[in-house]
Amino acid sequence: MLSDAMLEPFQLPFVQRALLELLLLAVAAGTLGCWIVLRGLAFPAHGAAAAAFPGLVLADGLGFAATLGGFGAALLFALAVGRLAVRGDEADPREDTLTALVLVAALATGIVLASDVFHAAASVESLLFGSLLAIGPGDVRLAAAAALVALAATRLLGTRWLATGFDARSARALGVRSAIPDTLLLVLVALVAVATLTAVGALLATALLVVPAATTRLISDRIASWQLATVALAAVEGTFGIWLAVELNAPPGATIAVVAGAVFALVALMPRTQAVAA
Amino acid sequence: MSALVAADGLAVGYGPSLPVLTGVTFELDRGERIAVLGPNGGGKTTLFRALLGELRPAAGALRASARCASVPQTERSRLDFPVSALDVVLMGTIPTRPWWRRPSRADRAAARSALARVALADLAERTYGELSGGQRQRVLIARALVQQAAVLLLDEPFTGLDATSAARLEELLRELAVEGHGVLIATHDLEHARRWDRVLCVNGRQVAFGEPSSTLTHDVLAATYGGAIVTLPGEDPAAPHHAILPPHHHEH
Repeated sequence: MLSDAMLEPFQLPFVQRALLELLLLAVAAGTLGCWIVLRGLAFPAHGAAAAAFPGLVLADGLGFAATLGGFGAALLFALAVGRLAVRGDEADPREDTLTALVLVAALATGIVLASDVFHAAASVESLLFGSLLAIGPGDVRLAAAAALVALAATRLLGTRWLATGFDARSARALGVRSAIPDTLLLVLVALVAVATLTAVGALLATALLVVPAATTRLISDRIASWQLATVALAAVEGTFGIWLAVELNAPPGATIAVVAGAVFALVALMPRTQAVAA
Repeated sequence: MSALVAADGLAVGYGPSLPVLTGVTFELDRGERIAVLGPNGGGKTTLFRALLGELRPAAGALRASARCASVPQTERSRLDFPVSALDVVLMGTIPTRPWWRRPSRADRAAARSALARVALADLAERTYGELSGGQRQRVLIARALVQQAAVLLLDEPFTGLDATSAARLEELLRELAVEGHGVLIATHDLEHARRWDRVLCVNGRQVAFGEPSSTLTHDVLAATYGGAIVTLPGEDPAAPHHAILPPHHHEH
């Protein structure tokens, strides 16, 4: 049957593991992605993922856990530069420039470290664009942890993130303390960005972190339904992307990114009675 | 009866040596509506921030015996946010509970009650950005009411409203005053100010405080706004009307 033939790639153990990884990342990135889009953190989230790249190379070269190195670098970036973007009406215009500078510096440093210091140029491609079909159990555990933390943080801190983003100055006047919740949001961005790296790589992390949430934002008018739709869309795009990558023998991370981008374009071009944009 | 708010020789600003506003002495009683007039940059927002506890007095005394709540301009809030009118009012309940608790049933009931008080119960589930300017302003008043605030600080609430919405909002403020709230309204609209109980004029310092008849005079307004006032011919040549030229936006 045609359907059996279509499902054949999912019989392969490494594809099944990749699918599990992507479904967990859909929960983590789908939930957090809505806060990233709503709070204007798309570029800093991209920067955090890129900043993780030299951290991964350095950790790998020095012989300690690559994930730890990546998370440390992403966290450093998120807290140093991302905090400029998270302050709502006090957003610092330097944030965009700083993000761009750090992004370039991180990529350049990572490539120099990988090729000239640690002679690990072969792994650069997988660090930048992911290696979804070659992930290990540790990657799946990290994705599961990221999903749990993203869900818990949304439940506990969501109303505060919402109030601060809605009107930061009024939130302060209301007595809403935003410093700790906003810092935790940045920590979470770094954590989920690092969790996505093995799947889609430092350069394509926004395919999971931002693009699905930006797509469903076009058709959602409440946080809860938006997050549910984003998780579902990220899961569908990921599943279809893996299948397509196996069928076409294409890189899975890049294929998922292309699928996500195409879906965004389709939804954006759909006629709507009233446009909703973040 | 003690005043809800009392300022005595108050100076306040953004550093001990940089007071934006000095010499402020006034009282706000229950049931009273006070217009706060002054040019942009004259200290209206600074005064409100001091009343909210965000700025400490650099000199003098400021005493508030009741909770003050801010009702900002609706333009400050994100109209594209995926929130309902009820969600916005519920934001007023956040400081009343520990950070790990979500809004309770009682919080939701209080928020719905506050929306009913501003005659928006039917629009509780409507997206905030889809409401009219007057409705959005009333949602923000409901958010202040749900905080159990006795003092409402409104920042130019009539800006951008059509005549019907402005009249409805003014009636709501009158009703809230009758119910015992004290209301401070930063405005440039002399016609509104004329109908309220007292007027506080500021321009870096307190220029005047008193009833509209004694404060909305040419001399006081000239000292408050400088060259930004114009005199309009009225029906009674002995009592010409004054108006304030549209200000450029600048906050202090």
